[in-house]
Amino acid sequence: MSIAPAVPAPRMITRIRLKMPILVIIAVGWISLMVLTAIFADQLRPYEITRMDLMARLAPMGTPGHWLGTDELGRDVLTRLIQSIRVSLMIAFGATILSAVFGTTLGFLAAQFRGWVEHLVMALADFQAALPFMIMSLAVLAFFGSSMILLVCLMGFYGWERYARIARGLAISASAQGYAAAVVQLGASPRRVYLKHILPNVASTLIVSMTLTFPEIILMESGLSFLGLGVQPPQTSLGNMVGFGREYLTRAPWIMLAPSIVIVLTTLSISLLGDWLRDRLDPTIR
Amino acid sequence: MFRFILAKLVRAFLTILLVVTFAFIVLRMSGDPAQIMLGPDAPQDAVDAFRARWGLDDPLWQQYLAYLQQILSFDFGVSMRDQSPAIKLVLERIPATLALTIPALILKLCIGIPAGVYAALHRQSVADRGVIMASIFGFTIPSFVLGLVLVLIFAVTLDWLPSGGQDSWRHAILPIATLSIGGIGILARFSRSAMIEVLGQPYIRTAMAKGLPWRDVVWRHALPNAAVPIVTLVGFMVGSLIAGAVVVESIFSWPGVGRLIVVSVANRDLAVVQCLLLVIAASMVMANLLVDFAYGLLDPRLRAKPAAH
Amino acid sequence: MSILLDVRNVVQTYTTARTMFGRTSEIRAVDGIDLTVREGEILGIVGESGSGKSTLGRMLLGLETPSRGEVIYRGNPMPPPHSVEWRALRAHMQLIFQDPLAALDRRMTIARQIAEPLEIHGLAKGDALRNRVAELMAKVGLRKDQANRYPHELSGGQRQRVVIARALASAPRFLVCDEPVSALDVSIQAQVVNLLRDLQERERLTMVFISHDLKVVRNICDRVAVMYLGRVVEEAPSDQIFSDPRHPYTQALVSSIPRPGQGLSGRIVLSGEPPNPANRPTGCAFHPRCRFADAQCAATQPELQRHDGHLAACLKFVRARQFAA
Ligand SMILES: Nc1ncnc2c1ncn2[C@@H]1O[C@H](COP(=O)(O)OP(=O)(O)O)[C@@H](O)[C@H]1O
Ligand SMILES: [Mg+2]
Repeated sequence: MSIAPAVPAPRMITRIRLKMPILVIIAVGWISLMVLTAIFADQLRPYEITRMDLMARLAPMGTPGHWLGTDELGRDVLTRLIQSIRVSLMIAFGATILSAVFGTTLGFLAAQFRGWVEHLVMALADFQAALPFMIMSLAVLAFFGSSMILLVCLMGFYGWERYARIARGLAISASAQGYAAAVVQLGASPRRVYLKHILPNVASTLIVSMTLTFPEIILMESGLSFLGLGVQPPQTSLGNMVGFGREYLTRAPWIMLAPSIVIVLTTLSISLLGDWLRDRLDPTIR
Repeated sequence: MFRFILAKLVRAFLTILLVVTFAFIVLRMSGDPAQIMLGPDAPQDAVDAFRARWGLDDPLWQQYLAYLQQILSFDFGVSMRDQSPAIKLVLERIPATLALTIPALILKLCIGIPAGVYAALHRQSVADRGVIMASIFGFTIPSFVLGLVLVLIFAVTLDWLPSGGQDSWRHAILPIATLSIGGIGILARFSRSAMIEVLGQPYIRTAMAKGLPWRDVVWRHALPNAAVPIVTLVGFMVGSLIAGAVVVESIFSWPGVGRLIVVSVANRDLAVVQCLLLVIAASMVMANLLVDFAYGLLDPRLRAKPAAH
Repeated sequence: MSILLDVRNVVQTYTTARTMFGRTSEIRAVDGIDLTVREGEILGIVGESGSGKSTLGRMLLGLETPSRGEVIYRGNPMPPPHSVEWRALRAHMQLIFQDPLAALDRRMTIARQIAEPLEIHGLAKGDALRNRVAELMAKVGLRKDQANRYPHELSGGQRQRVVIARALASAPRFLVCDEPVSALDVSIQAQVVNLLRDLQERERLTMVFISHDLKVVRNICDRVAVMYLGRVVEEAPSDQIFSDPRHPYTQALVSSIPRPGQGLSGRIVLSGEPPNPANRPTGCAFHPRCRFADAQCAATQPELQRHDGHLAACLKFVRARQFAA
């Protein structure tokens, strides 16, 4: 046991899925909708994201031309929502990939070299687990100021230690006995063993972990942006919209509700999908 | 047992050392520490004095050692804003945060664990389904959304409770609720899985086959074993007592550690940020140590395991 | 016959982490073995489980470096594991595993797995590769249409054929078969053993055949070495081992092979604890279970000695022979 035991995400929804697999279909539908929105954001949004309509400030939902209302500067909420979805998803997507690649590589290195490399990787993983991620991010943002690239890189550290632990464990057990040892004695280079054999064998587990970290990264980014320390104006993200909408909570709750609903539905859908995938793909179950 | 404790202590110490090193590296990478710590408008003689005191012209490893020494004597620098010691600012804020997080933790424990165990013992019941729904809720609704929705309902629409500030106990109700609701769901769900897992073990069936009353099976055999994984999660929650309310304090303008972090980060008050970083890391590591010792007590087999993974 | 492999006084010690109190203990899995493997022969290695056969097999292939002693392959010492020369040498010597399912990657078709040594050692490409794989599959008795199957879609015997085909892909000179049939159904064990023997003859392979079961070794080996607790206790041509075993341990093993018409009469039953390398008896390691042991056996460790074409390590050598007669 390490100093900081990784807290496994609660295993949700499994039984609901058994009763209603339709829920997964809805989840996939929603995720597709979000992805399509992110891709075609430029075509979909009715206005420029910074276009202000000072005549129609804080227009409520259902106003013709501004179906989701407008904000304090008269900017169209739907337009900003579409752009926010694009920004938030892009950050979360990039960060998830970064963290998976980074963590898996370190895990494999630890498994291959053992000794001090392994100790170092594991000590770093402990360090990561010992420091709440939000606090670490805040510290880094305080020192370096906020920028989009820094934000993606920062989020790219989210959860790497989980991949590292998984990849290391699976790689060690694979090389201890079985197919990996067999391929090594065929004369394969470590590169070949890891890329052609171990990676495909652990990929399903890693993908399941990715579906678990993805919503968490969305939540982390929106939390930071909500605090005004993540995505900076004039750019916008889901958390950022909620943060600004908070000041108009009494007069114009729609500004904050629309992005909130999108956040909740998206994280919920990905978690549902992840749970379902875990049941389908995890080799320990099959 | 002694080796076990020693190994854990060494690891805890190493983690803290890593955090300090992290702070040192980030501090050095972000520019001239004198400028950063003193702010851009600092007079030149103050900058020079700072450089001399911190030995900024020495080789890097000497600077690192000096930094370690500084940290060990609890000297974290002074806040840019009012020149008071950073550590003092941080310590001042801790009680306010604990006033939110401790009641929230108690609520999580007192509601979450019994609910989860109950659900595990009554699977497929309404309560069970409720626990599952609550955990989904706790897992997917971010606290800033939950907090704002609670404000919208109880402060704006119903006008029962204040929406921010720290003037009376009524001000604490919404923040505590926001902090605990999600955690209750997660803890309940986690306890439920742990309990279900234990109930499926052969020794439980053996105990039942021996004709032990069901109550005894649950209390003496199932619960102590289910406690092991639950302690992990609780330890994690204890560890975030100080740092876990950043967003919530922000929503409700609660003057705790979380507010201090956000304000200091926004103002780039780096002495305070660095001090917070170390204090929070220390509290997390401490909580993890407690968890490990609790493990040792709960599960004697673990005591014998080597410290490595 | 020229000597392919020369094993000189090898010892392999493993350190096992004791979980209690964090103490470590040492196990001598192989405890001083001298052995030669001659070009073109099949050498059997027999002994109870835990006697160090697999460890010896891995050292023969250079997969592990012995803690003491050395293994000489064609006059040269084994290169250190995972070095470039070591990897190149893999094309010349191959291992066939006990559990074919564990030795195969369950996410790769069998054709791709058989092709792996060819790719790794750059021996064939494109059409040549495909043809070579098809040829290998035919050679081990796999059907063409099975090429795109996954390991779990095959039977145990077929999987072992895949492992054999993969081992033969790079046309090695030397093959170690570590209990190649123990995980298989009795009904197909003979098929696989016969396949191995045919291949050995056709390809003029040198083979070390490891088994805990004397019966399996009998039909295939030219020479047999019997191991007990990390040491060779007897070594002789196959027919002599079976017709005239000298070491009391070999005698017990041979007597337990059922012979048609004879029932189990004359069977020597081994008493006492099965051997445990963590707790090795003094003197002759076999003495606590030996019918002939006396005080001298508990004190002195016997060396292998030549006797009528046998090598046997027993202080009571001659008497043992008289009792067996
Ligand atoms: N990698 C290893 N680490 C520690 N002990 C080992 C290892 N490999 C084998 N052993 C021990 O060495 C002894 C001999 O093992 P092995 O060579 O596998 O015997 P056999 O193949 O004859 O059954 C056994 O007691 C086994 O537990
Ligand atoms: Mg073996």
